[in-house]
Amino acid sequence: MRSFTARRAATLALALALAGTAAACSSSSSPKQQTASSKQTITFAISGLGSEGTYAEKQVAEFEKANPNITVKVDVDSSSSTTFLQQVGNAFIAGSSTPDLIESDVTYTAKWAAAGYISPVSCSQSAFNASIWATGTYQGKQYSCPWFLNVEGLWYRTDLVPTPPTTPQQVITDAQAAMKKDPSLKEGIAFEGDKYEGAITAFMMLDKAFGGSLNNLSNINTTQNVAALSYLHSLIYQYKIAPTDVVTYQEAQTGTDFASGYAAFSTNWPYVGSLPLAPSVKGHIGYIPFPAASGGQPGVALGGEVLSINAKTQHIAAVNALINFLTSPAQQTARALAVSDAPAVTAAYTPALLASSPVWKQVQTLAPLAAARPVSPNYLNVSNDLQELISAAYANSSTTAAKSAFSQYAGQVASDANASA
Amino acid sequence: MAAIAAARHAAPSPRWDVRKIIRESLFYLAVIIVVLIALFPFYWILRTSLMSNFQVGQGVGGKNGVIPGALSVQGWKEVFTEDDFQRPLINSLIVSVACMVVTVVVASMAGYALSRLNIRGVGPILAFILLAGFFPVLAMIGPLFLLMRHLNILDSIWPLIIIYTVYTLPISTWLLKNFFDQIPAELEDAALTDGATRLQTLRRVVLPVAVPGVFTAAILSFILAWNDFAFAVSFLHTPSNFTAPLAITTFGESQFQVFYNVIDAAVVITSIPIALVVLFAQRRIVSGLTAGSFR
Amino acid sequence: MVTITRPGRSVTAGRPAAAGHSKERGDRRLGYILVAPALILLAVVTAYPLVYNLWNSLHYDNLTFATSPKSFNGLHDYNVAINTDGWVSALERTLVFTVVTIVFDVVVALALALMLHRRFRGRGFLRAAVLIPWAVPTVVSAMLWKTMFDPRTGFVDYFLGAIHPAWSNLTWLNISVFRSWAAIFIADSWKNIPFVAIILLAGLQVIPNDVYEAAKIDGAGWWQSFRRITLPMLKPALSVALIFRTLQALLVFDVIFVMTSGGPGTSTETLAYLNFDEFINKTDFGVGGAMSIMLVILALIISAIYVRAFRPQTTR
Repeated sequence: MRSFTARRAATLALALALAGTAAACSSSSSPKQQTASSKQTITFAISGLGSEGTYAEKQVAEFEKANPNITVKVDVDSSSSTTFLQQVGNAFIAGSSTPDLIESDVTYTAKWAAAGYISPVSCSQSAFNASIWATGTYQGKQYSCPWFLNVEGLWYRTDLVPTPPTTPQQVITDAQAAMKKDPSLKEGIAFEGDKYEGAITAFMMLDKAFGGSLNNLSNINTTQNVAALSYLHSLIYQYKIAPTDVVTYQEAQTGTDFASGYAAFSTNWPYVGSLPLAPSVKGHIGYIPFPAASGGQPGVALGGEVLSINAKTQHIAAVNALINFLTSPAQQTARALAVSDAPAVTAAYTPALLASSPVWKQVQTLAPLAAARPVSPNYLNVSNDLQELISAAYANSSTTAAKSAFSQYAGQVASDANASA
Repeated sequence: MAAIAAARHAAPSPRWDVRKIIRESLFYLAVIIVVLIALFPFYWILRTSLMSNFQVGQGVGGKNGVIPGALSVQGWKEVFTEDDFQRPLINSLIVSVACMVVTVVVASMAGYALSRLNIRGVGPILAFILLAGFFPVLAMIGPLFLLMRHLNILDSIWPLIIIYTVYTLPISTWLLKNFFDQIPAELEDAALTDGATRLQTLRRVVLPVAVPGVFTAAILSFILAWNDFAFAVSFLHTPSNFTAPLAITTFGESQFQVFYNVIDAAVVITSIPIALVVLFAQRRIVSGLTAGSFR
Repeated sequence: MVTITRPGRSVTAGRPAAAGHSKERGDRRLGYILVAPALILLAVVTAYPLVYNLWNSLHYDNLTFATSPKSFNGLHDYNVAINTDGWVSALERTLVFTVVTIVFDVVVALALALMLHRRFRGRGFLRAAVLIPWAVPTVVSAMLWKTMFDPRTGFVDYFLGAIHPAWSNLTWLNISVFRSWAAIFIADSWKNIPFVAIILLAGLQVIPNDVYEAAKIDGAGWWQSFRRITLPMLKPALSVALIFRTLQALLVFDVIFVMTSGGPGTSTETLAYLNFDEFINKTDFGVGGAMSIMLVILALIISAIYVRAFRPQTTR
């Protein structure tokens, strides 16, 4: 019995060693590709549940019907972009060949391209909206095909705000008036203030409206940037039309609050239009860019999702087929009608789509104006710093909170942006 | 003298009684408060999980105060139908039970050896095992991640089972060693003089008597293994491989809508197995942790 | 310090002397083999990564730039950890949190232990009720309290609002450093106090009753006997409780991750959170390694301090 234990231990150790060697050996060879016509299963990682996730699964089912030899396993990862990044990042670091196709946020492409986790794509540039296409270009090569774009604007209740505001100051007065008019409102304006990526896009909207920009990461401590953040800060502390609770709000809370009739204004993405709306809200919603301050431009932030290909995939042909399917104008239009995801393909903006809701015309006009986050392999560290910056400002009740936050973090942003291997 | 003493004894002064009553009442009041503090948050989560999402969004108060105005099982249904919560639950169960089995076997062997077999260096060995229980193993996430990646077992239950033993082994070994210490040596010596080998006596004589200690070690290991989050969130990336604690932090949130009732239902479900274990075994847990510790 | 008991030997029946040397040696060999699995498992999870971390902390190793060579860079990683990545601030925060936590927790746990020590009807129920918060996963506690502290869906503001209307809509997490820490502190202590209480209860249970009886006969009141008898005799249990709770508080991670992600700003980033962030998000295993080594050294120092302070008395 004694020797049995010892023998077992030795066998286990040997097995581990062999597994380790096998793993080391297999990871160095390039993946064998399966042909498009062979029977195969590919894994498609998407973010989040709800109507968008369900619709993606529906689209996948259609694709499988048209391509009976390909089975698509849909992996629904976290809806929180930070956690999603971690999860997919783990898969890449682990050298896994799955997921084969990844839906990802526009900001991840450069980082994954720089690390060699994703391979260049073969979709054609001319079909797509230029702003979102640009988010996937790294060192001259294209590493992602746009799937749908997102523009963040300002939703407002047309019954409580008869004419859309034309300046940031007017937003404040309109919100105050709306709160007086309708006591069931819990907040004048709901915006994303949690410590996460969405706070950055909300900020960038305002930044554009105040004439600022984050394009020069080496020096973000500019008067316009500070003004934009101060404005958001004042909504909480000075004018009190946004509750302190916005520091825990992500899109889920701002969208739901608006759709339930608790907020007169809400910074959000087009999908809000297809949420279940409370009776008082239905038919009374409007969507505009954030009104520009003097010296600024209409405030719109660019988001969206793109499709990237795992560099280690063994199903490149099948993956490309799925990409082509998802980016076909017909599918893009259908998705827009179903879940309000704005098409990234210009041909998808058919007259029928434009007629279905005024939002689409806005999206079409605004998308070129949308402020995109800087494309850089270091963006994620930069984003972390920006999140800390913004969250520190919102937690500081003093009127100079924005100024202090920018002074405190600008240096860190600069050094993280310029870091290289 | 005796008469006075007897008289005093026979008729206690009324003031004495009242003070005692007040003391007792305060004590029981304290007990009630403690129980409330311990259990009310669970009630609150249960309450929130049994409301519709719309009700939750309205806020606390009015119709939906401490007791909700209307009940809805929407959240509970969706946890299983929309979110497939049974998968993380099963994963957690597998990992915890596997870790428990490994721990009990290894800790029994080690505990017995340290207690009975007169090996040289009992002190340092025991100290190392206990020290491992105090070791900041969270700080080892990086290398362990790289190791598991190299072995190609990331994103599965295997690394977790191994790593969780660092939480469960020290206390289980210490517990079982104490337990074996208290088993009289005569039991074994009798069997030994009858010609049995050490391992035979371990199996046939000692272990049956040690069942209570083994049971306690098993329960503690299960609880500790079920608890982990840090390693799960670092090693697992496919949702169908998640353990329950990890799943509840990513649950019930679509990208753009939050379903509080679903999240809370998941939280309640994650707590139920543990609550049951505690309810059935609390005496064992306490006696296991306390027995023989401070002689 | 827990006094390590000697193997139980009955006084009358010693080891059969006639069995002799070979049985001793056979026993000893069996003993080593039986202990080996435990030692190997623990070494794999503690010693091996520790050495690996030490190695990494002296080299460059960042998975995002995986193609760059892992060259030796001396103490550069430590420099980055301390000066750029906020390790020192995290250290300060974590130490403050730890001290506040152990003071509060030990006091409350002692009261709880005294309560559980008394024999009364319903003691089993109290014990079970109190054990449940400890037994559920830490993230459950974090999510429970995150909900409780939510202005819209939680009980805390509802309760406070009943006392004072202005308090009915307070934001707790992310809005201020103090309130975020308060919420984190409550979630963490609520879960961990029961365990401390059980350890102290064990200590209470071994204090023989006659010592108290003697003191009562001598006219000592409750507080006096508590101060002069209970507390000193609780020293071993207190030391175990303190060292467990201190190291636990030092490594607090789950609650931070779930409730604040280190916010507002970086004000709730603890050492363990920073460590995790460095490894998993920034994928920098060199700097992460440096942080890990410093954390281990810190844990060792604290353990040593406790061992020194609670050295077993010679008279016991």
